[in-house]
Amino acid sequence: METTGIKPSIGSRIFDAINIVFMIVFMFVMLYPFINLLAISLNDGVDAARGGIYFFPRVFSLDSYTFLLKNDRLFSGLWVSILRVVVGTVTCVFMTGLLAYVVTIRNFSGRKFLRILFLITMYFGGGLIPTYLLMVQLGLTNTFNVYWIPGLLNAYYMLLMASYMQGLPDSLFESARIDGASELRIYVSVVIPISMPVFAAIAVFSSVGHWNSWFDVILYNSNGKWDTLQTYLRKLLLEVEALQQIQDAQAAYSKYRNISSNTLRAAVTMVVTLPIACVYPFMQKYFVGGITLGAVKG
Amino acid sequence: MWLISIPMILWVLVFCYIPMYGIIIAFMNYIPGKPMFSSDWVGFLHFKTFFHSPDFWHVIRNTLAISGLGIVFGFTAPIILALLLNELRGRIFKRFVQTVSYLPHFISWVVVASILFATLGNEGFMNDILLRLGFIDKPISFLGEGKYFWGVLTTTNVWKDVGWATIIYLSAIAGVDSELYDAGKVDGLGRFGMVWHIILPSIRPTIVLLFILGIGGILNAGFEQQLLIGNSQTREYYEVIDTYAYKYGIQLGNYSYGAAIGFLKGIISLLLVLAANRISKKALDTSIL
Repeated sequence: METTGIKPSIGSRIFDAINIVFMIVFMFVMLYPFINLLAISLNDGVDAARGGIYFFPRVFSLDSYTFLLKNDRLFSGLWVSILRVVVGTVTCVFMTGLLAYVVTIRNFSGRKFLRILFLITMYFGGGLIPTYLLMVQLGLTNTFNVYWIPGLLNAYYMLLMASYMQGLPDSLFESARIDGASELRIYVSVVIPISMPVFAAIAVFSSVGHWNSWFDVILYNSNGKWDTLQTYLRKLLLEVEALQQIQDAQAAYSKYRNISSNTLRAAVTMVVTLPIACVYPFMQKYFVGGITLGAVKG
Repeated sequence: MWLISIPMILWVLVFCYIPMYGIIIAFMNYIPGKPMFSSDWVGFLHFKTFFHSPDFWHVIRNTLAISGLGIVFGFTAPIILALLLNELRGRIFKRFVQTVSYLPHFISWVVVASILFATLGNEGFMNDILLRLGFIDKPISFLGEGKYFWGVLTTTNVWKDVGWATIIYLSAIAGVDSELYDAGKVDGLGRFGMVWHIILPSIRPTIVLLFILGIGGILNAGFEQQLLIGNSQTREYYEVIDTYAYKYGIQLGNYSYGAAIGFLKGIISLLLVLAANRISKKALDTSIL
């Protein structure tokens, strides 16, 4: 905290210097793994096996990326991931926002009941296995729908959005109601525009969650048809068959001989990370606001 | 209004309350494909099997150890980082450090696993540096030996979420009344004195609250990270309640057994959260529920 007015003492200045050095080291620790993987992904595969690549590629090669550009599984994974983020986020934000609006309407008799019905789900649930069996029985396994329908409404997001909407002046809704607007209409044309900050925060949380999730993919969509980018990377990391396919491709085309599983994994990791790394700094205002809102709410 | 609510009520009944009802298979010998109630009732058999299984103790040990390490390091690190960030004088530099610190929170566990395989593997830079500095004379298998697992996992967890967790503390620090600083100045407090006598006492409710929440969640020792980073050599050290229930319940098809373990964990977790809430009400006069 700035203690202006008095000249900082020597001890205070030494502390500042140490603190800055510490922060630089800290940032290095946060970022270095990504820099290292980027360097490996841009290196020749055979050479990379010798190890010792730190900041820059030793034998520069774009082969891992050109191989990926011709890889159908990567592209189908990318497509499914994007579709999932868009559909999942839009439906979740719209529906949970509507739920939050419904539980904040003062003259709605069922709002308390609805709120409690959802709050209970935050503290107790059926758990993994009963939920899995339900998805099987509903026929949601091996479909795209399993990515967005079970996540349509979220009690925690509802709490955040409702606490924001409670701070809005009632007169806004009343005047629209007097004009004869339906509640759905008020939600779309009044509530959403003025609640943009909280909608944006939830959209960040939801889209990052959708982009990053992989366990529900292997749990519910194990046939591989709806594999996302994350599951493709996971297969490259943990499953022998995925690597076998690459070796087959290498055997068929000699130009791919210079990639290795390590450089390829690094390249896919970069492809998976890059969209998030590019977007999140600009969303900072919203997610910090969302977290703080949650903290105030308790 | 009810018209809008009814589909939502239906959704929550189907996706949240039917699975709760589905827990009753924990007391049956459920066989998939057959109608649920044609299965035999077995009472608490699955719970007994779990208590007597040779895996029971190391599953409990791993869950508590990983959570405990998470509370010791994962809980204190963000507080220290937030205090240090708060002491930075350059606003732009501070914002930049914060932005960088959030990055690992936004990446998936799959990416983290990929990073770990690349950095801690035999040719990874960690072994490379240790070899060059002469600390070791052959590569250490960080991910292939059980004794390293807790350390690797805890370090990774802290790395991933330390920046994210500072958000709450920084907002608490920002809320400290500026009159307190003025009073501190009058009393001749130095920078360290300000932190010790003004900032820390002011954010104490936040610290206590998050600590209580952490205790309430002690059975959640992670799941995705274990499934990705763990392997058969480290199983004795990574298997926690959640991964155990998944393995037996779904991968091996013992649905009833897995559901029983999940139910047991759910009940204990609920009791812990209720207890945490009670403590928080008494200690801080705030309810966390």
